[in-house]
Amino acid sequence: MPGLVWFVIRRLFSALLVMLALSLAVYLVFYAIPTDPALLACGKPCTPDRLEQARHFMQLDQSTMQQYLNFLKGIVAGRSYGEGAAVLHCDAPCFGYSFPLARPVSTLIADRFPVTASIALGAAVLWLVIGVSLGVLAALNRGRLLDRLAVGFALIGVSTPSFLFGLLAILVFGFWLNMVPVNGYVPLTESPVDWAWHLVTPWLVLAVLQASSYIRLTRAQMLEELNLDHITTARAKGAGERRVVVTHGLRGALVPIITLFGLDLGGLLGGAILTEKVFSMQGLGDLLIDSVGNLDVAVVVGVTLFAAFLVILANLVVDIVHGALDPRVSHG
Amino acid sequence: MADPILEVHDLRVTFDTEGGLVPAVDGIDFAVAPGKTLAIVGESGSGKSVSSAAVMGILPSNAEVKGEVLLDGRELVGLPDDELRKIRGNDIALVFQDALSALNPYYTVGWQVAEAYRLHHAVSKKAAFKRAVELLDKVGIPDAARRAKSYPHEFSGGMRQRVVIAMALVNNPRVLIADEPTTALDVTVQAQIMQLLADVQEEFGTALVLISHDLGVVAEVADDVLVMYAGRAAERGTVRDLFYRAAHPYSLGLLGAMPRIDVPPKPRLTTIPGSPPSPGSIKTGCPFQPRCAYTERVGERCITERPELTPRPGEGDHEAACHLGRRPEVVS
Repeated sequence: MPGLVWFVIRRLFSALLVMLALSLAVYLVFYAIPTDPALLACGKPCTPDRLEQARHFMQLDQSTMQQYLNFLKGIVAGRSYGEGAAVLHCDAPCFGYSFPLARPVSTLIADRFPVTASIALGAAVLWLVIGVSLGVLAALNRGRLLDRLAVGFALIGVSTPSFLFGLLAILVFGFWLNMVPVNGYVPLTESPVDWAWHLVTPWLVLAVLQASSYIRLTRAQMLEELNLDHITTARAKGAGERRVVVTHGLRGALVPIITLFGLDLGGLLGGAILTEKVFSMQGLGDLLIDSVGNLDVAVVVGVTLFAAFLVILANLVVDIVHGALDPRVSHG
Repeated sequence: MADPILEVHDLRVTFDTEGGLVPAVDGIDFAVAPGKTLAIVGESGSGKSVSSAAVMGILPSNAEVKGEVLLDGRELVGLPDDELRKIRGNDIALVFQDALSALNPYYTVGWQVAEAYRLHHAVSKKAAFKRAVELLDKVGIPDAARRAKSYPHEFSGGMRQRVVIAMALVNNPRVLIADEPTTALDVTVQAQIMQLLADVQEEFGTALVLISHDLGVVAEVADDVLVMYAGRAAERGTVRDLFYRAAHPYSLGLLGAMPRIDVPPKPRLTTIPGSPPSPGSIKTGCPFQPRCAYTERVGERCITERPELTPRPGEGDHEAACHLGRRPEVVS
C-alpha cells in the first residue's frame, strides 16, 4: 500500500508540472493574438485615456511574463485588481477574474461544472452499458446478422457529428413527437425528475455516439479473449456458456474497456462543447467557447487547466484501477 | 482387459473451414479401462488433441463429430450441451498442455480449482475453497492454504501444472485426459508430474488417456498405445507390442528418432524425412507413403489403396495399417 501512496504522490507532482507548462502555453498563445481585451471593457466612447485606465486595472499593461507570474501568485496568495475604492479582491486560490462576466473564474467553474458533470456522468453510464452489451453480443454472433447490425451501428455512430445527431434528436423527439424538453437545464437539487427529463436527450445522443467505440473495442477484445486457452479450460470444467462468456471472457476484456472509459469520461467532464451548445446548457464547454469569443483569457486558462486536471486525474484513476483489475500488474 | 470405462468407435471430426471440409480425425477407435493408461502418440497435427476435445465435446462450432463415444456405456456424441456439461470436468476431466495459458490470469488458483468443484457440487464458496486447498495440497503444492490465494503467474511451471491437475481431479473424475501434460516442463519436473498422475490413478482407479509425443514417457506409464498419423490410426497394441514388435514404418520411425542410451551414439539423431501431410490432402493410398522407406518393397498398392488396420502378432489386439504384411526389418 505505501507503494500506491508514493505512486499517487509522484503522479500528482508530475501533473502539477504538466499544468504549469499548459497554463504558460495558453497564456502565450492568447497574448500572441493581436487584439486587446481591454477594448471590450473600455465602453463607448472609448477615449485613449479610459483605455489606458482599463488596461492598468486589468493589469494588461504589464509584460506577458509578469502577468503569468501574477496569475501563479494569485493561486497561492490571492490577488486584487485596481486601487482605492474601486479595488477588486480575488481570494486565494485565485485562478483569475473574468471582467466580462464580473466573477472570479473559480466561481464560474463551480457554477458550470454540475451541468457538465450531469451530462457526462449520465451519458457515460448509458454508453458503457450499451457499448459493452452490444459488443459482447456482436462477438458471440460473429459474422451473423446481429454482429453486422452492431458493427453498422458503430460505424454510423463514429461518423455522425454530435451536433447533427443532437439537432435531429431535438427535431424528432422534442418538436415532432413532443416527448422531451428541447433545451435548458434544471439543477438536480431543484427537481430530480425535471433534471433527468431535461437531460435524457443529451444523454442518449452522447451515449449513442460514444457507444460506437465501445462496441468495436468490446467486440475485438471479446473475440480475442474467447480464443484463449483458459476459455477452453472453463468449458472443460463444465461451465455453462453464460459463465464462460461473462466470468471468464468479459473479465479479461474489461481492462482495456475501463481504461478507455476513464479517459473518455475525464475528457468529457472538462466540457461537452457541442452537446452543451446544441441543447443550450450552460456547462463548462459553453463557458469556454463564449470566453474564447470574448477574449476572456482568465476564463480560458482556468477552464483549460480544470479540464486538463480532470484528464490527468482520470489517467491516475485508470492506472490505479488497472492495477486492481489485473493481478499481473499489482502482484508483479 | 476389464470392461472399458471409455470407448471410442469410429470417431470422425471434420472442420468446416473457408478452404472446405477438413477431416482432422478420420475414424479412430480406442478404449481405456479403469486404472489403465492409454497413450495416444503422434506428431503435431495428427489429430491427437482434436480427438480428446471431441470426447469432451469442447470443439468449436465449425467442427462436426461423428462416431461413438461411450462413457460407461452411455453415448456422449449428440448429447445436448447441458447434459454434456454435467459430465465435463466431473466424469471426464482434461489436463492441459500449457498450464500458464490454461489458467485464467485474473483469478487465484484456489478460486479456479474451487470453481471446478462448485460447478458440479451445490456447496458454499467457502467449502469449495477448502476442498480446493485440500486438492492443491494433495498434488504437492507446499503451503497450499496460503498459495491458493496466489495468481497463476506467481507459480513456477511445474507448480502450475500441479494446479491444473488439482483442478482436473477435484471432482474425482473416472477418466482423465492429459494432453501432453509435461511438454513444457523440465525433465525432473516431468518425472514428478508423471509420478503424481500414476499415484492418483492407483488411488482412485482413474482411467488415463495420455496424449504425448514423448515415447520415453509412454514406455514408462502406458498400458496400451495408439499411434496416430494424419488423423488415422497407424498402429495400436500394448506398450510391449509397440516397443518390441512395431509393425508400422511410422512407429519404427518414431522409435528410431528416439535417442537411446543402450546403443552407441550416432553422429546425428535419426529423423523421419519429410513432414506430415496437411489434413485432407491425401485422398488415396497410404497417408504415410510419401515419407515411407518401404514403399518400393510394396509397390503400387501404397499409392492406390488405403491400408486398413489388420492384426499383427503380439499380445492380444495388436494391429497396424500397413500393406507391408510382416514386421519390417529396419531400413535406414
